[in-house]
Amino acid sequence: MLELKNIHKSFGNNKILKGVDLSVNKGDIIVILGPSGSGKTTLLRSINFLDRADEGTIDFGEIHTSLSKASKNEVYKIRKKTGFVFQNYNLFANKTALENVTEGLIVAHGYSKEEAEKKGLEALRKVGLEDRADYYPSQLSGGQQQRVGIARAIAPEPEVVLFDEPTSALDPELVGEVLNVMKDLAKSGMTMIVVTHEMSFAESVANEVIFMDQGVVVEKGSPREIFSHPKDARTVQFLRRILRDDFEYAI
Amino acid sequence: MELNTEFMRETFITAAKAIPVTLELTIITMVVSSILGFALALKRIGKKKNRAISFYISFVRGTPIVLQILFFYSLLPTLLNYILNVVLGLDVKVFDIDPIIYAFVVFILNTTAILTEVFRSSLSAIGFGQMEAALSVGMTTSQALRRIIIPQSLVSALPNICNTTVNTLKSTSLAYMMTVQDVMAVAKKEAAFGYNYIEAYLVVLLWYIILCTIVQLIFREVERVVAAYKSGHKVKRFNRLWRPDHVGIKKHTQVVWK
Repeated sequence: MLELKNIHKSFGNNKILKGVDLSVNKGDIIVILGPSGSGKTTLLRSINFLDRADEGTIDFGEIHTSLSKASKNEVYKIRKKTGFVFQNYNLFANKTALENVTEGLIVAHGYSKEEAEKKGLEALRKVGLEDRADYYPSQLSGGQQQRVGIARAIAPEPEVVLFDEPTSALDPELVGEVLNVMKDLAKSGMTMIVVTHEMSFAESVANEVIFMDQGVVVEKGSPREIFSHPKDARTVQFLRRILRDDFEYAI
Repeated sequence: MELNTEFMRETFITAAKAIPVTLELTIITMVVSSILGFALALKRIGKKKNRAISFYISFVRGTPIVLQILFFYSLLPTLLNYILNVVLGLDVKVFDIDPIIYAFVVFILNTTAILTEVFRSSLSAIGFGQMEAALSVGMTTSQALRRIIIPQSLVSALPNICNTTVNTLKSTSLAYMMTVQDVMAVAKKEAAFGYNYIEAYLVVLLWYIILCTIVQLIFREVERVVAAYKSGHKVKRFNRLWRPDHVGIKKHTQVVWK
């Protein structure tokens, strides 16, 4: 369904992505792991053209284009077929939870206000926040804000939802509620690409885990392969560090 | 030394008649400058740096307004006279133009520069994250600016716009240098008859305090209403002034009698 090939991206002299390929089928839950600076977030942002890749191609449904030269029209089309969940939620501060969801539906997708509100409430119900529809972001907890962020991303029924470290900015006790929403989405058959450090989520929900380091895909496979039988030394080292940290937190 | 209270009372009323001139100067300057300043601010946050705008802002910020007034009041009539009558050969009586026009030009030039910076800082204060979020749901850049960024930046600019309005209001007292008959000019004229300058200045002082207080109260109320989303709890619109929500309930709710 979504096929990215040979993505390259540099910021100045700093090469972030050095030829990454990514292939996504309908219903896939792909979790991307890797140390910070490995290019996971940039990869995700390139799919949605929040960062323009320097090189590479994207095949997404009927759209086949170059990542660096895609026309404005193609960019808008791809953005409408994807949802994006940000690390810092990035909710529209001057809009209520419901308006945050309906804004894109009305302005970008051309729904009428009534239809958009119906769809918006449905999306809020999916994340368990129907009763917070009229609250402004400043009145919501971090976890609730992120769930609104997820509702905003899924409301237009995108073909794939991109999650950029959705729980990294949250207090530990709020991580669970967001992960539960994401698990429910995964069960409902949503195609998801998730950048995260939540190993338990990767282990229990993903059907493919990709390990990235220094701008390349080091290893990929099923969660069982990656977690139980990592082949590359870098993967082993990373997992050991992360899992030991998890253990320490548990104390 | 004794204050001539009789004179003060009379001057207070005479000066009051010049308040429309002061308000006219302030309001028109603020409206025109807000529009121009906002347009320039949008240009200034763009990627291309515009030297002309930067120069203009540095010029205004780097010179006293008294100097700007004297400079333009001397320059403009002569310049207009030269362009219209000498170059274009028209027969326009430049020196009969109402001096308030020159006052508008000077105050608008001055205030626009200040408001450009006010709007620029407020536009860049709204995090780029919200812009990206708007783009990610499929909005165009201009839709995102119009619907998400600009409304919020106007709200965060309000305290500074209030500041600028009060400053402009006070600066218009310098319009007397261009023979505009505002509150200051009228009071000075009254004072000149009997040399009651202290009394006249006290009256002017009182009027400016009243006007500036009203401006601040208006802005405070506006800010309280439009910045409701920041405060974390719903604010009833204008509930201290009037209560449209209660009127609304009466209008729309049908009371069912048993």
